[in-house]
Amino acid sequence: MSIRICNLPFNSSFAPQPRARISSRRSTRVFARTENDTQQQLNLSVLRFTFGIPGLDESYLPRWLGYGFGSLLLLNHFSASVPINEPQLRSEALGLSLAAFSIALPYIGKFLKGSVVEQRTLPEEGEQVFVISSNIGDSLKEDLAWATYVLLRNTSTIAVLVSIQGELCVRGYWNCPDQMSKAQLHDWFKKKVDEIGLADVKETLYFPQYEGSSASWDILPNGTRSLFVQPFVQDINEQQKMNGFLLVASTAGYAYSDKDRAWIGAMAEKFRG
Amino acid sequence: MEARIILQIQIPWNPNHKFSRRPSLYLPRFFIRASSSTSQKPRSYRGPKPSKNLVADFISRNDDLARSLPIYVGGASLLAVLFNRTVSGIAPVADASSSQSRADLLALGLAVTNLLTGLVWLSIRPKSITPVNPEGVECKVVVSGLPTTIVSELLWAWESFKVATCCKSLVIVYNGICLIQIGMVAESTEDKKGVIVNTDKLMQGSVYQGVMKSKAQSYLANLSLYPGRSELPFLPANTQAVILQPLGDKGIAVIGGNTIRGFTSSDQAWISSIGEKLDATLGRYFIDSAAEVSPEKD
Repeated sequence: MSIRICNLPFNSSFAPQPRARISSRRSTRVFARTENDTQQQLNLSVLRFTFGIPGLDESYLPRWLGYGFGSLLLLNHFSASVPINEPQLRSEALGLSLAAFSIALPYIGKFLKGSVVEQRTLPEEGEQVFVISSNIGDSLKEDLAWATYVLLRNTSTIAVLVSIQGELCVRGYWNCPDQMSKAQLHDWFKKKVDEIGLADVKETLYFPQYEGSSASWDILPNGTRSLFVQPFVQDINEQQKMNGFLLVASTAGYAYSDKDRAWIGAMAEKFRG
Repeated sequence: MEARIILQIQIPWNPNHKFSRRPSLYLPRFFIRASSSTSQKPRSYRGPKPSKNLVADFISRNDDLARSLPIYVGGASLLAVLFNRTVSGIAPVADASSSQSRADLLALGLAVTNLLTGLVWLSIRPKSITPVNPEGVECKVVVSGLPTTIVSELLWAWESFKVATCCKSLVIVYNGICLIQIGMVAESTEDKKGVIVNTDKLMQGSVYQGVMKSKAQSYLANLSLYPGRSELPFLPANTQAVILQPLGDKGIAVIGGNTIRGFTSSDQAWISSIGEKLDATLGRYFIDSAAEVSPEKD
């Protein structure tokens, strides 16, 4: 019975072609199985539950059960009489490895399709900055202002930096010294970006679990967990395209899905020229 | 060059005393090189390189297998516990008297947790919908007389939609003119070319009027269920989803996709942002060109 539950969803995701080759007698059986499949899927949803306590994430339940049962197993092991026989050792080994697997389950579940994405949190300290270089034309300034606004609104970004031929536009929460004028801030950011050497990056860089890095990267706000750098794609045949890059940072881990990164690449294309 | 700079940085930290005099020789050269490099070429990137997360890659590629993995693990451990009991000759009785039974019960509890988690994961699997290839011809029609900046902006919008979403056709109508018709287009029955957009008919139809009145994006997730389908004859017949994005109050962008419910909420937000941008750009161009024309008329 339990094995049938496993097999049905597998069949439903296959292309309809294999079913067409089955003879008519078996095809009715296949139909019955798909009907059963929807019913089984409906029944499975009954297993989902919630305690109703706000802020309590039930997807972490296997982890807590793993910790709890694992510690009970260890307690049982140490409170047993000393000559522990082999079958018990085997059970305990099995139990402990199951506990370890249960603890890892929420981490695995994060990578499945359709999992809930972490929300961004705004940094407590620091304030928002908005700096645009004064060496660029008005229409480009407008485009930059719009693009940075859209990136901050439509993705879980909290800090964005666009560099076009060395001229910067910086927006969001950054770890920069206050009491600086806009021009001074721009030069300060430019110096920091040069130190890191971001203009030399050739392909996209995505850090979904950013832990903090060397001294030059301290311009990023505290609590940055995801970082994505999209350089403007260079083509040898197209000489008149601009070079530069686009950097976005977020306080949520795994913040930029494939789709988000595709859209950010589209934004970078706009400034390439 | 990057390797050499890294080597020069590392030398001062080298504990080998043979190199202790070298840093004073190398450091000035490093600084001289640095100052010359920032003026000519960008300094090489010195930062963390992204590491591959094998677990994440494996799971995203084998989604079905990963979902049923806890079921297999839980089921196998259930059988293993019973097998262990029978092999070691202890009666399979589930009481908490001996420590062996307690260990078995705890292992059973964990196995059941895994089983249930696997079943929950299977139940929340998102339905995968296959995209449908649109039937039609490739087409790229841009109205003549537009400045290159406007044309490049329209083409950029098309490229973004094409790359980031399931969009396969795009039509932009503004100020009563069809500015661009690009992507897959329904094949007309007379000649083998695409159906041209009949702008007047489109603007008088209920689809256009409805979107203009609500001033909001309209997402037709399953176009075959929508009766106003006949007012969009230029789209391929098997277009699965359509987004109608009003551009201000003067135009509309019709975006056709090849998957039912293929546009996510993130896509909708991006498309409405790009729609506002296009409206600002096109609006300014048309006001400027109208201002140029009217002094001549006077």
